[in-house]
Amino acid sequence: MGMTWGQGRWVFAAGLVALGLLSVRLVQSQEATKPSMHARHQRPQLATGAAIAPDGRLWVVGLNAQAQLFVQSTPLGGALQWSDAQILNTGSDLIAADGESRPKIAFGPHGWTVISYTMPLAKPYTGFIRMLRSSDGGQNFGTPFTVHQDQQPITHRFDSVAFDAQGVLHTLWVDKRDQPPKGSPQKYAGAAIYRNESKDGGTTFGPDTKLADHSCECCRIGLARNPQGQLQAIWRHVFGDSTRDHAFASVDAPANRIARSTYDDWQINACPHHGPGLAPNVGGAQPGYHTVWFGIRKVNGQDQAAVRYARLNAQGEPLPESVRALPDPRAEHADVLAHGQHVAVIWRSSEGVITTLKAWLSEDGGLSFKQHILGQAQGENDHPRLVQAGDRMVAVWRLVKETQVHEIQF
Amino acid sequence: MKFSFKHSLSWALAWSALTSCLASPGMAATSAEPHKHGSATAVAAPASDASQSIQPFDEKTWPAILRTGPRPAAYLFTTSYCSSCPAAFEVLHRAVKSQKTRVELVAVMMDVDGAQARRHAAHFSGLTLIYAFDGFEPAIRQSVDPSWPNVTPYVVMVDRAGQTQKVIGQPSKAALRQWLR
Repeated sequence: MGMTWGQGRWVFAAGLVALGLLSVRLVQSQEATKPSMHARHQRPQLATGAAIAPDGRLWVVGLNAQAQLFVQSTPLGGALQWSDAQILNTGSDLIAADGESRPKIAFGPHGWTVISYTMPLAKPYTGFIRMLRSSDGGQNFGTPFTVHQDQQPITHRFDSVAFDAQGVLHTLWVDKRDQPPKGSPQKYAGAAIYRNESKDGGTTFGPDTKLADHSCECCRIGLARNPQGQLQAIWRHVFGDSTRDHAFASVDAPANRIARSTYDDWQINACPHHGPGLAPNVGGAQPGYHTVWFGIRKVNGQDQAAVRYARLNAQGEPLPESVRALPDPRAEHADVLAHGQHVAVIWRSSEGVITTLKAWLSEDGGLSFKQHILGQAQGENDHPRLVQAGDRMVAVWRLVKETQVHEIQF
Repeated sequence: MKFSFKHSLSWALAWSALTSCLASPGMAATSAEPHKHGSATAVAAPASDASQSIQPFDEKTWPAILRTGPRPAAYLFTTSYCSSCPAAFEVLHRAVKSQKTRVELVAVMMDVDGAQARRHAAHFSGLTLIYAFDGFEPAIRQSVDPSWPNVTPYVVMVDRAGQTQKVIGQPSKAALRQWLR
């Protein structure tokens, strides 16, 4: 009789420790965190958001087996002790929780805490960005409301939320309000990035404003603060008719003041559903950003698909000599964070039914990296996320029966 | 021959019924050879819940399709969030309209099944069959093409000789010509 997966998991974890790899903390699942599976064949809705609260606790937000939105938290730095799952009142909202479209949680000053998600509407590819707000650090949340002023039943999806250093809440999303009417000879490539901001922790919001025309339609938006604490954004963008690379902008910049951050020159009218990651690079010789993204570029005349890493200058333009592919042709859905010279890139890599969570760690500001294995899973799993509080970074990876939390150790 | 979605779905239902009868227990439904059983109009379609028209697609399905599936055919692998997929399917649909023989146009839903899959498939004019992934998505994807970088629309065109062309995004005119020659 073979081992059960649970038994195998612990043996595997012990093996990693024995091999001297990164420390692994495996979190036993709780009933409330079992994923939502509505239909016989439907994939479980594992997409989960995570953030570290001002008090240092790790919070996760996702859907349980009944498709209810829940939050849980645990202290870090010792044994993980998950709180009971808190089921949140979301009324009759459907909630997107698959892949790049996931609930998110963000902490600001004054106990302000917000959770955002995309609520799919009846018509395919349409949705509203919804939000729940707390003013007591997540102990109690209000009922959900729509973040944007535009109420057309069109695409408002792939929300990203973050507070800037001044405590202003920024919400960005992919929006199709600028599409010409159906049947119109006018063409509009992709979608647009819209945003708004709230200076009172999500109680009131300013107008919807456009950040850029011609974004890709279905990829996440990466956010990071610059050294002044202002938010910067990166997203997959349609340059020209069909070149899908990445654009960078300060979120409070006028519309379409963008920099091009990648030059894969991927000619495609398709939906990678594979958005970029962004982290500040404040410790290097040339301050700017670290980024990771997926793309296909011609190498010696052949298409080469890869998740790549590069450093960007302060304007979001790439430093060409820094561009390199992750050392894994099966890498998917990478994330990046940095603190000083420490840079962490994580991704998942699937081979058959086995998925491996890998990390690429740098102690010299991204000049060189070493690869590590953080964990492994069989069957469905979420994209891994990195979350950070100062120099502490953890990788959060939700599986069907558990959520793994890995402290990143350089 | 012009197929409406309604007629095509009826044909798919009939294919489903036939494969259920012919396949041994545990055998992938895709091991049936629809062209051996006549055209759509030759088989009475049973009244059935529409969800039965969605065929499961697991790691064994693609090899079976390549071995014994219909030819020519095009398979568009898609997801519920792929807003660029209907346009790619429309390119395929336009290409087969002028064909004198039946060409299968198949949508393979990678992330949803049942009512959600049907809702999204409604965007695909000319659709003749719907599959839905049944299992671990990366494993199924790798059974189709280990180098497929999880981008949709992913289109596989199978020509009359069984040769395949794999395209991410909309197929080019040259690729369509080669497929249907």
